[in-house]
Amino acid sequence: MALIRIEHVDKSFASRHGSITIMQDISFDVKDADFLAIVGPSGCGKSTLLRLIQGLDRPTAGRVEFRNQPVDRVCPQMAMVFQSFALYPWLTVAQNVAFGLEALDWPADRIAAQVERYVSVTGLDGFQEAYPRELSGGMRQRVGLARALAVEPAVLLMDEPFSALDALTAESLREEILQLWGDPQLPPEAVVLVTHNIEEAILLADRVVVMSRRPSHVLAEVPIELPRPRDRKSPAFYDLTDRVYSLITEGGATSSAAPEGKPAA
Amino acid sequence: MAERESTRPYLPAFSARSAAIYVTIPLIVAAVGFGGLGGSLGGIAGYLPTASVDILFSFLRMCAAYAASLGFALAYGYYAATRRTGERVMIPILDILQSVPILGFFPVAIYFFVDLTPAVAWLGPNLASVFLIFTSMAWNMVFGVYESLKLLPAELREAADTFGVRGSLRFRRVLFPATVNRLVYNSVLSWTGGWFFLVEAEIFTTNTSPLRGIGSFLSLSASAHNADAFLAGIVVLVAVIAFLDFAVWRPLGRRAERYRYDTSPSGESVLVTPTRDPGGRFHRAAAYVTRGVRTSVSWISTPLVQLASITVRPARKTSEFQRSVFYYLALGAILVVVWLMMIAITVSVFRVFTGPISGSVRHQILLLPFAMGASTVRIAAAYAICLAITLPLAILVARRPRASRVGLPVIEVIASFPATALFPVIVFELIPYLGSEGAAVLMLLTGMIWYLFFNLLAGVRSLAPDLEEAARSFGLKGRQFFRRVLLPGIFPALVTGSITAFGGGWNTLIVAEYLKVGSGRSLSVLGIGQQIDIGYSEPGGTPLMVAALFTLVASVIVINEVIWKPLYRRASERFRYD
Repeated sequence: MALIRIEHVDKSFASRHGSITIMQDISFDVKDADFLAIVGPSGCGKSTLLRLIQGLDRPTAGRVEFRNQPVDRVCPQMAMVFQSFALYPWLTVAQNVAFGLEALDWPADRIAAQVERYVSVTGLDGFQEAYPRELSGGMRQRVGLARALAVEPAVLLMDEPFSALDALTAESLREEILQLWGDPQLPPEAVVLVTHNIEEAILLADRVVVMSRRPSHVLAEVPIELPRPRDRKSPAFYDLTDRVYSLITEGGATSSAAPEGKPAA
Repeated sequence: MAERESTRPYLPAFSARSAAIYVTIPLIVAAVGFGGLGGSLGGIAGYLPTASVDILFSFLRMCAAYAASLGFALAYGYYAATRRTGERVMIPILDILQSVPILGFFPVAIYFFVDLTPAVAWLGPNLASVFLIFTSMAWNMVFGVYESLKLLPAELREAADTFGVRGSLRFRRVLFPATVNRLVYNSVLSWTGGWFFLVEAEIFTTNTSPLRGIGSFLSLSASAHNADAFLAGIVVLVAVIAFLDFAVWRPLGRRAERYRYDTSPSGESVLVTPTRDPGGRFHRAAAYVTRGVRTSVSWISTPLVQLASITVRPARKTSEFQRSVFYYLALGAILVVVWLMMIAITVSVFRVFTGPISGSVRHQILLLPFAMGASTVRIAAAYAICLAITLPLAILVARRPRASRVGLPVIEVIASFPATALFPVIVFELIPYLGSEGAAVLMLLTGMIWYLFFNLLAGVRSLAPDLEEAARSFGLKGRQFFRRVLLPGIFPALVTGSITAFGGGWNTLIVAEYLKVGSGRSLSVLGIGQQIDIGYSEPGGTPLMVAALFTLVASVIVINEVIWKPLYRRASERFRYD
């Protein structure tokens, strides 16, 4: 069953030189228990797509459905992990994790218990009273993750969650995400990960949606059927990486002059 | 990603040194006054109780004005930042309000508030003075709120959206905290500005009905030539300012540090840089004024400028130089026409509503261009003196760490002391030595010098060390180093500092050219500030006051357009290095 259905979505932005089409006729599904990765060159609108899925932004044409209902406002059953962490510097770790729960009007003791649980799940024990500024990048992203998981979302949206981290930190955090994903006690039912790192997508996801350069469309949906834990050095992994890589480079050949940079979301 | 220090105090922490400075300065002031003005220690002590009560009144006025500013800033800044239509109208209005010389509108405000509450005699003047202080406090706080909401990183806003944080929770958890750091920072500026205007506000309103406060205390004791009382007033004022600084603002500043946010995701902080240097608060004030000048100038003068460029549609063979000469001539002509029209409208409006204008007032109005010219020359002279003092001083302080460790805190305390409190002394004690002109220029100088100094200081400090090192390795020394490295390096800061110093100068004109305290002793030199004051105090002079205000505002626009704007453009294009 499709948890999220994206049907013929177009998105364009008004600019000084008329409207710029970011994406055209995007369609795919996110299924139950799906770990889906969206990869594509920078500027192809991956992050915009993630925002369309949660309802932070509206498509110019086409529709986005969550559990067969059109997404026409910010969907509370989804939670986002940001590339830049987006933590509030004036709130402690515990307060940041409680951020989404307060909006749900939970009673204080229930919030405290929930915060305690997800602080511990994400390995932040002992840092509850610290401020984000006092944490390393990896620890900050754990707070971002804990904040998203604490509202127990049906879908976890991750927007380049490892891009602002150094290579080693990113790697260990990826492994932890996989462990959390493997734990049936924990939310979410599905994950949508946006990344420009092809290896990362293949390492983590069940399925990879490959997008073209702007105006972007879906080039292919590549199922990743390698057993976990996956070995980056295995020939099968290498073949998949190569395949996705050539899809992107060939797909982009028609409009290689597209400017770099992410559109404003 | 770089680890950040957990807390970096952005106002220097309380230290034995700063405490010593706070204690010493009032003592030095007292001692100097003691010798210079012939006060006696016992006499001063005798006036301390009265002065303390008076400063309590002033302090309450300051608090009232500050509370009003805070509420106004939060409401206005919030709406301007969150409503698109609000932004389009509200921000230009604010830009104009803050770049217009506020002191010029004091008389108007006093009329208004005194007439508003005729039943309760004490209320009107108090409201007027609170309002005047408010006008010196509010704008930069509004900009603080507005800019911190605008600069709030998109993802912090978005995170609130994704988690459904709305309404009052959003205000408490996201929007209000986002403004705290800037609000605290700008509050310090507002209080400094507030003290400057408080003294003035009380002196001004003394003419109509006495207002108890430290400002009128100082001015009355000066006019009575009572050195003991005057010195007691100064000591109390310095003590209160110093106390507030280390008991309120410094601790608050350290706390507000937590509310700082980084504007770029990489962890590089854009907002923090200027706050790290001790003179930063003045630098920041300067930046606000500049911003105001820039936008309001473009807002008011764009139509005029366009008109001017249409008039000088380039004939094919004119050179760049000729074209710009034509351009400025046309611009000047158009502004003169607009100015004449404004004057004509003013005069005829008054003629219709309040009857014929007396011959002497008409005569004064015709003299306004000369008054304006005299004021401009005076400000230019004061500016030249400021530059001659501050440039060497800034270089010295910035490049000699030991000099700056002792010197800078002293300079900061002096700079946060309202110079207006000393104006009566300047008038009565120094005119015999300096003459009226000299005294007027000296008063102007006090309203200009700090803007220039702290800007230059920041400029010298921000000079890239590798540029300096490169110059040294190529053997550039002395004059050559100054001309090729230092001057171009600090040019942007010099321009910013000059613009804000002139802004401060226009503001001080109203007091510096015409000062009458008590009976008899007064200072009056031909100038636009003098004309505004005469228009205010003479019966039937209102048209003169209004016409003089128009003249001042129009001239400020011309000078900004012809001198500062091109310089500013040049500074930001050619001399910027990143």
